[in-house]
Amino acid sequence: MIAFGAAITRPDVYRACAEPGIRRAAEGDSVIYAEPSAGTIFASYNALLDRAAAHDDLEALVLVHQDTEIMSPDLCATIRTTLADPDVAVVGCVGAIGVRSIAWWEASVTLASFINRYEEYGGGDLHSFSWDWDEAPAYARAGEVETLDGFALVLAPWAVRNVRFDESLGAFHGYDLDYCLQVREAGRKVVTADFRAIHHRPLQMLPDPDEWVDAHIRLAEKWDGRMPRIGRAPGTWRERALRAEAERDAAHAIARSTALEIEARTAMLEHSLVETRTSISWRITAPLRLFRRRIA
Amino acid sequence: MIIFASALRERRAYRDHAGPGVERAREGDSEVFAIASAGSICGDYNLILDQVAERDGLEALVLVDEDTEIADPDFCAKVRRALADPDVGLVGCAGATGVESVAWWAARVSAGPVTYRYSEYGGGEIDTFAATRAGSPPAEVDTVAGYLLVLSPWAARTLRFDEELAIGVGFDLDFALRLRQAGRKVVTAELRVIRHKTLKVVEDLDVWVEGHIDLADKWDGRLPGAPPRPADWKERARLAEAERDAARAHAYSHYSLLDARVAPLERRLAAMTDTFGWRLTAPLRALNALRRGDATRRERDEPRRARPRTG
Repeated sequence: MIAFGAAITRPDVYRACAEPGIRRAAEGDSVIYAEPSAGTIFASYNALLDRAAAHDDLEALVLVHQDTEIMSPDLCATIRTTLADPDVAVVGCVGAIGVRSIAWWEASVTLASFINRYEEYGGGDLHSFSWDWDEAPAYARAGEVETLDGFALVLAPWAVRNVRFDESLGAFHGYDLDYCLQVREAGRKVVTADFRAIHHRPLQMLPDPDEWVDAHIRLAEKWDGRMPRIGRAPGTWRERALRAEAERDAAHAIARSTALEIEARTAMLEHSLVETRTSISWRITAPLRLFRRRIA
Repeated sequence: MIIFASALRERRAYRDHAGPGVERAREGDSEVFAIASAGSICGDYNLILDQVAERDGLEALVLVDEDTEIADPDFCAKVRRALADPDVGLVGCAGATGVESVAWWAARVSAGPVTYRYSEYGGGEIDTFAATRAGSPPAEVDTVAGYLLVLSPWAARTLRFDEELAIGVGFDLDFALRLRQAGRKVVTAELRVIRHKTLKVVEDLDVWVEGHIDLADKWDGRLPGAPPRPADWKERARLAEAERDAARAHAYSHYSLLDARVAPLERRLAAMTDTFGWRLTAPLRALNALRRGDATRRERDEPRRARPRTG
């Protein structure tokens, strides 16, 4: 039996996003745990692990954020194929290798089969690189990774019964990387598989940067020296501090440049729209457009 | 006498931007002094100082970046007013207080009519300080923008740019900090200036990072707006690496915002122009474009003003 679980802080979001996806993917005998949040995602997910672990026939537990919509109706078949390897403990649809911190997207992402669906500016979709395999780059592949994006995680029964989310790390950030690191430290595999999901979320990646920074530091301290690369960088601590502060300010400069580019491109397009709308060509062809609308 | 000086890396930029501005601003007895760049900006400006600082009758030395166009016919009068206070050693058109690093523009900015004129996306003008402008000149500040520096005779004769900062990033901040250490003031003045540059805040990020490190190494813990940092270098490195990754995520969000904000406008434009009627009238527009060739050229040479926005 493949179980599904979500920790809910906003029932309306769950109903609009996660629930349709779970219904799309679940089988007749699937158990669905739609539980209110236990305060932190770590505690909430541990509670879901406890519930799922009680099922003797558990084949997998699928954990989704309340704003994650699974889009693959054949997810359960994909899970069974992937978990046929008994060493595989966690599966996702977005993962990376070469990871150094909770900013796993700074590493080499090998699979990103999701859409970021946003509501700002009238709404829209940002397609990640392996959403459509026909357009995927050469490095897109399913397989073993170092971490997964926690918005959609599939846990094998071994993981459900043996690995806990570390509640000492905070409220939200870093739970996915930490879980994957625990699994790998225990000698099991973390892998990506070919399924897809939509993440219904705003464009701002880190609405709570202070909490995120705290989690980044805690994770680095916990795992430095235990797993390759995590929390490591070349140079003395002084050199690392000065370089990171410079790179931080460089990132702010990039954001500022992008903001200026937005202004410039928006100004250009708004100008073109006005120019088009007020042109003689546009005005003299108005009857044509009216005619087409009437026959449409 | 007010001297205008520039170090030229690209003669064309000086000819098109700094040169016309200097001609507009200079007085009858002003000296205009240009040198070919010999390397770092600190070395170039020191060479200029060595050449002109001891001139009799010097009232001010104006160091103008070749991409900076002075657009203020009252420039010299305003410079004299700013330097009337004998404690003032350095004047600029834009500056900031609470400066934490070479990225002075991220602090509390005092800037007057400084316009950035860009050539991308059909060209235009933008108020680059819309988000961080905290006040208008005149104001005492920690530093001023290096693209237009007005030095008092005392500053020109007493101080030199630090050539140890080999990359030159933050040369302006370093100069201003040393001037303030010597008990003099750095101020902004209401100077009308046009910066001709791309939309990139920093042109070469890798070089800028190295320069940032050089300056932080020199002034560590003594920059006026630097927030308290952990005394332990390991703690500080952990914090900085986390903040860096957060800043990068923030920058990624901006890319997404770019797509999100521009895409609907592009769709609307495409919906209007990918029509039978628009294609049908293409010859008419081509004819009009030919007929109005002169007017179009004039319009192109006079870039549009982008509406400044904040946030």
